[in-house]
Amino acid sequence: MTTLSHAPVSTRPIPNPKRSLITRLNMGTGIIVGAIFCWGTYYAMRAGRDMTDSHNVNKVLLASMLMWSFGFLVGIGALIGPFRWLIGKDLTAEEQLYLAGDGQGVKRYFKYCTDHKVVGIQYLVGVMTMLGVGGTMAMMIRTNLATPGSHLVTPNVYNSLVGLHGITMIIAMIIVATGPFGNYIMPIMIGARDMAFPRLNALSWWVLFTAIPVLCSAWFLGGIPTGWTAYAPLSDQAGPGMNAFLATIIIFAVSTAVAGMNITTTVIAMRAKGMKWNRVPIFVVGATISVALAIPAFPTFMLAMIQTGMDRTIATGFYDANVGGSGWLYANLFWIMGHPEVYVILIPGVAALMEIAPVFVRKPLFSYNAAIAGFAGIAGLSVLVWAHHMYMSGWMPSLNGPFMITTEFISVPTGLLFLVLVGTLWRGRPWMKLPMLSVYAFLWNFLIGGITGVYLSDVPADNYLHGSMFVTAHFHYTLMGAAFTGAMAGLVYWFPKMTGRMLNERAGYIAFWLIQIGFNVLFLGMFMAGAQGQPRRVADYAFVYEHSNMISTAGAYSVGIGMITLLWAVVHSWRNGKIAPMNPWGAKTLEWTVPYPVPLENFDVEPIITSDPYGYGKAAN
Amino acid sequence: MVNHTEELLPPTPGQRVSKFLSRKDVRQTFILGAFFTIVFVVLGIWVYPHWMPNVLSKEMQADEDIMIWFTVISAPIAGVILAIAMESFLNMHRGDTPPEDGIAMRTHTPVVIIWSSVSVLFIILALVWGMVSMNTDAVKAATDAPNALVVDVTGSQWAWSFNYPAQNITTHTLNLPVDRPVTFNIISADVNHSFWPVQLGVKVDANRLTTTVIHTTPDKIGVLDVKCAELCGLYHAYMETSGQVESTTDFNNWVSSIQAQGGTQ
Repeated sequence: MTTLSHAPVSTRPIPNPKRSLITRLNMGTGIIVGAIFCWGTYYAMRAGRDMTDSHNVNKVLLASMLMWSFGFLVGIGALIGPFRWLIGKDLTAEEQLYLAGDGQGVKRYFKYCTDHKVVGIQYLVGVMTMLGVGGTMAMMIRTNLATPGSHLVTPNVYNSLVGLHGITMIIAMIIVATGPFGNYIMPIMIGARDMAFPRLNALSWWVLFTAIPVLCSAWFLGGIPTGWTAYAPLSDQAGPGMNAFLATIIIFAVSTAVAGMNITTTVIAMRAKGMKWNRVPIFVVGATISVALAIPAFPTFMLAMIQTGMDRTIATGFYDANVGGSGWLYANLFWIMGHPEVYVILIPGVAALMEIAPVFVRKPLFSYNAAIAGFAGIAGLSVLVWAHHMYMSGWMPSLNGPFMITTEFISVPTGLLFLVLVGTLWRGRPWMKLPMLSVYAFLWNFLIGGITGVYLSDVPADNYLHGSMFVTAHFHYTLMGAAFTGAMAGLVYWFPKMTGRMLNERAGYIAFWLIQIGFNVLFLGMFMAGAQGQPRRVADYAFVYEHSNMISTAGAYSVGIGMITLLWAVVHSWRNGKIAPMNPWGAKTLEWTVPYPVPLENFDVEPIITSDPYGYGKAAN
Repeated sequence: MVNHTEELLPPTPGQRVSKFLSRKDVRQTFILGAFFTIVFVVLGIWVYPHWMPNVLSKEMQADEDIMIWFTVISAPIAGVILAIAMESFLNMHRGDTPPEDGIAMRTHTPVVIIWSSVSVLFIILALVWGMVSMNTDAVKAATDAPNALVVDVTGSQWAWSFNYPAQNITTHTLNLPVDRPVTFNIISADVNHSFWPVQLGVKVDANRLTTTVIHTTPDKIGVLDVKCAELCGLYHAYMETSGQVESTTDFNNWVSSIQAQGGTQ
């Protein structure tokens, strides 16, 4: 049942802001102004400074990088709104409609566009680019490790590859589901016309965008030797490339905070009439809990990086034991972000699969409440487990017991997520399409990731496993095997709504099996290397680890070929795929009630919700 | 003739259980579950002793036992999940249109309660095991401390050095007498490292200006690998050395030979 509450969008006055500055700004002007700010700062600060002193180099580089980001935002017009507020005005209705990208075709993807669907596509392309770059680095790492002897790269390049692969993938995985689907699909799912703060939405993407060249510049400034954890005092010792890492995190933390606030507010305040909390689609719940968890987590990371930056520029010595600081302070701050962060990555992926499973099994989601309890329990406990990364650091051995308790108890809400999925499968007849296949891949991968996680949470076992390849294999099972599998399922599932076309099925299946089988070979091999005693992040290793590493590398090539196939499938289907019907999967959530292309404000008529979207099935016999 | 009385009476719990167990899908799930459980048990018992290096101390034995037994204990849980997944996978529907709807089962409270309780029990078991093991290590370390061999370990970019204060020698290989407790005092000369004598099953970071301490008792003779388990810059991968757990006589001979060279190796 629905009611008409607004006039259709098309009857609004057509804007004519031809002469306004707003129409002339785009990504190109952003890059030009950003470059001017960056180089201006660089040359202005260099003048008169002794550039042989590394503190001065760090000052100049950090300031230039942050000014690039600010300059880009000025150049793309992000600050026009705040500037108007300063002089007591605001954007006119016409300008706002222009910013929403009304009638601008492809150009709007390169502008400061406030339409959540445009932002969603921007995030999707951004995520795919980052995964491509991070994946290429992974292939180089595995190629170097294929045989003992480190034949491909020097140790310095290897360490940079490890660190940049890590941070690129972490950033990509944090936004892999909440970026594209959280922005494009989620507002439609809850029956909203846009996000709560459309301009902040555009800001979150373009701020993130400015971090990408900064991160890339690390490569040209000598790389980073620290891994993505950037532990002090190694980071104090590191060369100029480290500044790029710090600036990236500072910029990224701003983007995450903005996006997190925006998504949370949207879900709390802008749900359609009748969408009570127990009728919200589970993906929306998961995405919201995930970004809400990110809101307290990332400022800690930003703070840790600002302090590292201060150590490196003005020699404050927060982390320098020689002047009374402590590297453990850094490790604590880092992991207070670091452990909630893995759940920020995991939860939206699982939630996407929970959204998908009922559609393809044609049964209601099993125990919606258990799913909520699982997400909430994980989110609540995840802020209390960080020091399990520091069992072996010597920081506070007396706290190992308490942290072991909180860590192992996180298995209980995690177990509920399994229950929800297997309960949905129970007695079902699944429609074996690509998104559904991912549910099975997830169950297997996350099971392995979960069980090995219990070993690692146990202090005596961690005595052996800490810092070994076993840890690397474990977190790839959870982040890639579980979260990425969920995101890939989401991509296939929502592809028809985001592009209007169906993903090429044959290529999709080939990619799926190459990735999943290759992934398991790759990381089971890595579990073996870890159990044998190979430390992680090593460029070279002894001959005893030869076979396990060769197995891993073979698996990695399979994953690589699978990813290229997937990329081809996405690009090809986006351009020439079969035209998708409005609701190809027969799902009951709201995004399948709008046509493609989705109109500017999504719904001509505001929907009214009378039940949750899982009303599949007939009464049990 | 239909017996109406029987149909109208609600089934007793026993009848419901036997009806449940007689269903074909349930029986298949049980068989699959048993299969996956056995696979995981066998893998757990076989894989870790096969993969992990020689066990030269009780601490290492405890680490390996935990990995084996946690796998065995979690095998039935893995079995249930994989069995249900496999059963539904085998029951798949293919084609371009969705199958007809399944049963509208929204939740099943007893199952949710049993599932949560079992996972809590599993966690408590794992926790108690871990705590007891930690406590055993700590008590043993405290009892052994007075007559322990002391080795001061220094990590620097990118080498380990070992100072034996009682013997007054400094070396680059880690030789230890069998069956005598050892106390390692670990410190770093520069960035963080992590001291990992692999076959002894202990590990701790080397930090700048703060000493960390670990205890162990090598109880078998064999070769030791010492590695760095914390990324420490350029040559992290090569920051490793070797050593021996050897008989007391061999150890004393080794000490004397170093002392004869002037106390440094």
